[in-house]
Amino acid sequence: MKTPPSGIPKPEGTYPPTEAMLAEPVPEDLAKAQTARLRKAWAAPPGWRYPSAVNNTEVGKWYCMTALSFMLMAGVMALIMRLQLAVPENDLVSADRFNQLFTMHGSAMMFLFAVPLFEAISILLLPGMLGARDMPFPRLSAYGYWSFLIGGIFVIGSTFFDAAPRAGWFMYPPLATEDEGPGSDIWLLGLSFIEIASIAAAVELIVGALKCRPPGMRVNIMPLYAWYVMVVGGMILFAFPPLIAGDFLFELERSFDWPFFDPTRGGDPMLWQHLFWIFGHPEVYIIFLPSIAIAAMVIPTVARRPIFGYSWIVLSAVGTGFLSFGLWVHHMFTTGLPSISLGFFSAASEAVVIPTGIQIFAFLATLMAGRVKMTLPMLWISGALAIFTMGGLTGVMLALAPFDFQVHDTYFIVAHLHYTLFGGMVFPVIAGVYYFFPFIQKKLLSERLGKWAFWLIFSGFNLTFLPMHLTGLWGMPRRVYTYPTDLGWDGLNMISTIGAFIIAAGFAIFVWDLIRPKGHQPQIPRNPWDAGTLEWTHDVPEETWGVRSIPHVTTRYPLWDQPQMQARMDAGRYYLPDAEEGKRETLVTSVIDAEPIQVQRVTGPTWITHLAALFTGGAFIFPTFHLYPPAIVSGALAICCIIWWLWTSTARPPEADSKDVGLGLRLPTYAAGPSSVGWWAMWITMLGDATAFSSVVFGFFFYWTASPDFPPDGAAHAAAGWVGLAAVAFALNWMMTVGARQLNRAGSVGAARLCLVLAPATAALGAASLIVSVWGLAPESHVYPAILWALTVWIAAHTGAGVIMQLYCLAGSLFGKMTPRYDADIWNVSLFWHFVTISALVTCAVMGLAPEAL
Amino acid sequence: MNVMMRDRNDIRRSCFSRVPALTLLSLLVLAGCGREQSALNVAGRDAAAISLLFWVMLVGAVLLWLMVNGAFLYVSRFAPGRFDERHGRRLLIGGGIVLPTVVLTALLVWGLSLLPDSRTPGDGLVVRVTGEQWWWRVEYWPEGATEPVVSANEIRLPVGERTEFRLLADKVIHSFWIPALGGKMDMFPGRETTFTLLPDKPGTYRGQCAEFCGASHAWMAFVAVAMEPEEFDAWLQAQAEDAAPPADDAARRGQAVFRDEGCGACHTVRGTDAVGQVGPDLTHIGSRLSLGAGRARVTLDDLATWVAHTDALKPEVRMPSYDLGEDELRDLAHYLKGLR
Amino acid sequence: MTEERTPDRREDQKEFAEEEASLLKITLGPLIWAAHFVVCYGLVAVTCAKGWDIGAVRIGLGGLSALALAGVLWVGWAAWRQWGVTTTGDRVNRLGSAEDRHHFLGHAAFLLSIISLIGVVFVSLPLVLIGGCQ
Repeated sequence: MKTPPSGIPKPEGTYPPTEAMLAEPVPEDLAKAQTARLRKAWAAPPGWRYPSAVNNTEVGKWYCMTALSFMLMAGVMALIMRLQLAVPENDLVSADRFNQLFTMHGSAMMFLFAVPLFEAISILLLPGMLGARDMPFPRLSAYGYWSFLIGGIFVIGSTFFDAAPRAGWFMYPPLATEDEGPGSDIWLLGLSFIEIASIAAAVELIVGALKCRPPGMRVNIMPLYAWYVMVVGGMILFAFPPLIAGDFLFELERSFDWPFFDPTRGGDPMLWQHLFWIFGHPEVYIIFLPSIAIAAMVIPTVARRPIFGYSWIVLSAVGTGFLSFGLWVHHMFTTGLPSISLGFFSAASEAVVIPTGIQIFAFLATLMAGRVKMTLPMLWISGALAIFTMGGLTGVMLALAPFDFQVHDTYFIVAHLHYTLFGGMVFPVIAGVYYFFPFIQKKLLSERLGKWAFWLIFSGFNLTFLPMHLTGLWGMPRRVYTYPTDLGWDGLNMISTIGAFIIAAGFAIFVWDLIRPKGHQPQIPRNPWDAGTLEWTHDVPEETWGVRSIPHVTTRYPLWDQPQMQARMDAGRYYLPDAEEGKRETLVTSVIDAEPIQVQRVTGPTWITHLAALFTGGAFIFPTFHLYPPAIVSGALAICCIIWWLWTSTARPPEADSKDVGLGLRLPTYAAGPSSVGWWAMWITMLGDATAFSSVVFGFFFYWTASPDFPPDGAAHAAAGWVGLAAVAFALNWMMTVGARQLNRAGSVGAARLCLVLAPATAALGAASLIVSVWGLAPESHVYPAILWALTVWIAAHTGAGVIMQLYCLAGSLFGKMTPRYDADIWNVSLFWHFVTISALVTCAVMGLAPEAL
Repeated sequence: MNVMMRDRNDIRRSCFSRVPALTLLSLLVLAGCGREQSALNVAGRDAAAISLLFWVMLVGAVLLWLMVNGAFLYVSRFAPGRFDERHGRRLLIGGGIVLPTVVLTALLVWGLSLLPDSRTPGDGLVVRVTGEQWWWRVEYWPEGATEPVVSANEIRLPVGERTEFRLLADKVIHSFWIPALGGKMDMFPGRETTFTLLPDKPGTYRGQCAEFCGASHAWMAFVAVAMEPEEFDAWLQAQAEDAAPPADDAARRGQAVFRDEGCGACHTVRGTDAVGQVGPDLTHIGSRLSLGAGRARVTLDDLATWVAHTDALKPEVRMPSYDLGEDELRDLAHYLKGLR
Repeated sequence: MTEERTPDRREDQKEFAEEEASLLKITLGPLIWAAHFVVCYGLVAVTCAKGWDIGAVRIGLGGLSALALAGVLWVGWAAWRQWGVTTTGDRVNRLGSAEDRHHFLGHAAFLLSIISLIGVVFVSLPLVLIGGCQ
C-alpha cells in the first residue's frame, strides 16, 4: 500500500549555513523587537497563575524539589529504623510499624526519589544541553509531575495513618496478597500511577534526545548525557512494563480473588518474583546510569579536556542497558532454581561489570590525560568513586551464586546496595547539584558548607554501612525489627546508628545550603566552570526562553571549539530568533544527523494538566478503598480532560504551512507520520505497552512451564468460535483504520469517515466476542481461567482506548481539525492499532490454540 | 519477661563492657563472642567452601579498590598533566577490558564449579522442614523410615554425613538458613525446594528465617545442633518415643492446666490426647534448646513468661496470651519442662 | 562539514536508509547476546521443569553458543572495518561530519561486539561447568 504524498511543503533554503551568513550582523532594532517578542512568548505565568507553568525550567525545579522532599521523608524513616536497631530488643517502634517503615523507605527511595529524580533532572537539563527551548511535550511533563506529586503524597502519606504497605518494597505474594488492610493496594495502585508517569517522562525524554537536538548535532557529537538519557529511557520502556503487568495481575488478585499467585489454585508466587525483578534489576541501572551521566558532564570540565573514549562510554551505556536485563534472577538465587539456570545469571551478572568498569576507567583516563582543577563538584565525584567501586566489588562477590547463598537477605546486602546507590546515585547527583546550580538558579552554592556536607555524609556513610558488611556475615538478616543480644551484633548496630545521624547532619547542611536565601549574592559569570557544552550559553540573569537563537553545532564541546558561537547566539544570528506569532516554538531535527526538518509549536501554561492528573489520581486512588463508582467517574473525567487538552493544543492546522526560521531556511510547521514528534512518542509508548502485554503472555507460559497440570485436565477453555470471530473482527478493524488513513490522505474524506464509523464498531465487536468466549469461565476457581480473563480484560481496555481515538479522528475530520493535508492524528491512531491488533491476534492465538497445543 | 532480660544482661556483660565500645579493635575482640549465627564461624563443608571464596575475594577486592582509588588520587592530585592520550588508551584497554575479563573469568569458573555442591544428594537422612508463621515444623525421615519423627524449632544433624532438606512453607515464603553450615534455601507454599548440608564440626549453632515473612520475622529462629552420628541416632530414637508421663504432682497439675486450657487443640504431645496440628509439637519440648522458635530458652521462668505474654514476645503470633494465675503458670511450665 | 544543500523533509528515512546497516550493527552484537541468553535460560528452564534430556539440550546449546560467537565475531569484524582506524588513523571521530558519524557508529559497534563476545562466553560457561538440573 503506497501512501500518497502529503501536501505539506518541504524545507527550503540553505543548510548548513555558510560562514558568510553567520558572520553577517543582525540589525540592532530587529534584534530588540525579536527579543521582546520572544521574552513575551516564553514568560512564566505571573502571580497566582505561576503553578500553571509548563516550561521545563519550572516543572523541572518543582519535580526536583518534590523528589528531594520525599527523599528526606524516607531518610527520616531510616533514622527511626536505625534508632530502633541501635540496641537489641528495643521497643521504640512496634514490629508492625517497623515493617511499614522499611517497606516505605525502600519504595519511596526507589519510586519517589531515585527514578523521578532522573526524570526531573533530565527535564531540567536536557533542553539546555541540546540548545532547545523546551521539551517537545511540555504539558506531558507537567501532567507527569502533578501525577507524581498526587501519587507520591498518597503513598507516603499512608505512613502517617499507620496504614502503609508493610510487605517489603518487593511486595512478595502470598505475604502481600494475603495482607489485610489497604497497605498493599496503596502500594500497588499508588505506584502504578507513578510508574505510568515515569513512562510518560521516558517517552518525552527519548523524543527530546532524538528529535530536539540543535541543527548539526549528529549522534557522534551529542553530549554524553543525551546518550544516557536515550539508553535509560529505553530501559524504562522495557523494565517498567513487566512490573505494570505484575501490578495488573496482583490487583486483580487483591480485588477480585483471581488466583495468579495463590498456589492452592494453580497460581505461583514465583511469577511475581520474575516480573518484579525483570523490572527491579534494570531499575538499579536506570538509577545509576543517569547519575554517571552527570559525572560524564562534570569530569571533562574538571579535566579541562574532552572526554576520553567517547565511543567507549557510549558502548558502556548501551552495553550496560542490554546486559542489565539478564541479571534479574540474581535476586532469586536462593529460590531453588536449577543450578545451571543460576549459572547463566551468575555469568551475566559478572559480565555487566565490564561495561561499568570501562565507564570508570574512561573517567580515570580523562583525568589522567587532562589537567585537573579540583572543584567542589569533583570532590563529590571522588567520594562517589570511592564508594561506588566498593559497592561494585561486593557486587562482583554477590554475583557468584554460592557466596550469595550465604549473605542473601542479610545486612551484607544492605551494605552492598547502599554502597552502589550512594556511590552510583546520591554522590554523583549531589555533585551535579553543585555543578549545575549556577545553571539552574544563576547563583552559587557555598564552597565551605559544601565541604562540610561532603565530609559529614562521606564519613557518616562509611561509619553506617561499612560495619554492616560484617553484621551480615555474622548472620544478621535484613528486615528484622529487632534482634537478640547474644549474637555479637550489638556494637556493630550501635555504630551504624551513630553513622546514620552523621549522614543526616550532612544532609541538613546540604539542604540548608540549597534553600538559604541567596539574594545578596553578586551576579555570577555565565559559564562559571568554563565548561564546553551548550547549557552554559544561557543568559545571566535568567531569560525564560532558554537560548536566544538555536545554534548550528559542529563539535562535541561547542563552547570550547566554536569560539564565535556564543556571541552569534546572543545576537539572534542562528535559528528561530523570533516569535512572530507570539507562540512558543522549538526546532525538530532528524534523528541521526540533526538536520532541521520542522518548526514545532510547543504548548504553554495551562490548568488542564492539573485537572487531568487529579482525575487520573482519583481513578487509581479510589479503588484502594474499594470505591469503584467514584473511580470510574474519575477515570472518565480524566479521559475527557486529556481529550480536551489534545484537541485544543496538539496537531492543530497551522496558519501557514511553513515559516522562515532564519539563516535562509524555511521549514514546515506541521508534520504527520514518522516525521512528527507525536508519532515517535506513540511508537515509543506502544513499545512499552507491547512489553507489558508480552509479560502477561509470559505469565501464561510460565504457568505452563512451572506446573505439570496447566491447563488442568478437563478444564473449560475459551469458546473457540467466538475467539475466531474476535480475530476476524480485529483484523477488519485494523484494515479499516489504516484504510481511513490512506483514503483521507488521498482526499476521499467521505470514505475515510465511513471507515472511521465502521472501525470502532468492528473493534467493539472483537472485544465483545473475546469477552463472550470466556464468559462461562470462573476466574476465581483456577489460574487458567483467570489468566484467560486477564488477557481479555487487557485487550478490552485497549480496545476502549482505541475506539475513543478513532472517534476522536472522526470528530477531527468532521470539525476540520483533521484534513487530507493535516492528518497527524490518524497516523498516530493507526500506529496505536498496529500494536493493539498484534496484541489482540496473539491473545486470540493463545486462547484459541493453547488448549490444543499444550 | 524481666527474668529473660536478666539472663540476657548476664550474657551481655560477659561479652561486652556495659558502655558500647566503639572502636574496630573491640569489634575484633567481639568476634570471638556469641557467633553461633556467623557465616564465618565455619562448621560445615559448604560454609567452608564459601568462606574460602569470600576471603580470597575480599583480598582481591581490597587490592582492586586501592588500585582504582589510588590511581584516581594520583592522577587528579599529584600528577596533573603528566600523561597523554597513549597512556589513557592503555589504561582504558588494560583496566577496562583485559584486567576485569581475566579476573572475572577466573572467579566465575571457581564460583560455578561450587554451585552444584549444595545440591549433591544426601547420604540417607531426610529432614522435612515447613516454615510456618513464625516457627518451624520439622520431620526426620531416616533412610527407610515409613513414618517421621516429628519435632519443631530445632534441627539436629549427624556430623560427617550429608543430610537432605526438603523444604515447604505453610502460607508465605520463608528461607531456611544455618550460616555456620552453609547457604540458605527459600521455602515456598505449594512448591518443594531441596538442598543438602554436611556438618564437619559438632556444636550448637543458630539458624534464622532469612526471607521477610510478616510481623514477627525477626523472631523466627531455631537452634541447630551437629552431633556425632551415634549420639544423633540415640537422640533420634529418644525423640521418637512418646512423651514422658508427668513425674510429680506439680507436673500433673500442669498437665491438667494444659488440658483445661485446650492447649491440645493446637499442640501435639504424643502419648496424650493432645493431638493439635496447628502449633509446634511439644512432645519433647523440655529437651529443646530454645522456646518459641529461638525466642527464649526452655527454663521454667521463660516458659511461664511465654504462655502469659506471647504477643509481647512475638508480635501477632497466633497463640493467644493466657491470663493464668501465677501457680498455674508455674505448674504448666513445670509440666512442659518435664517433657524431655 | 557537509556540502550545502536543502534538507529533505524525509530526512529521517534517508538517514536511516544510509545508516541502516550501522544501526543494525550497533544493536546486533548485544541482540545476539540477548537472544543466546534467552534461549539458553528458557530452554534449560523448560527442560528441567518438564524432565527432558538435559544432556542433549546442553550439547544443542553448545552448538548455539558457537553460532552466536561466530555471529558476534562477524559483527565485530564488519564494525572494525567501518570504524576504519587503520586507514584514517582517527580514533576519536569528534567532528560533525557524515564520515565521522559513520566511523563513530562503526567504533561503537566494534566495542559493543567485544562486550557481547565476553557476554556470550560467560553465559556459555555454565553449560560446560554444570552438569544437570540439580
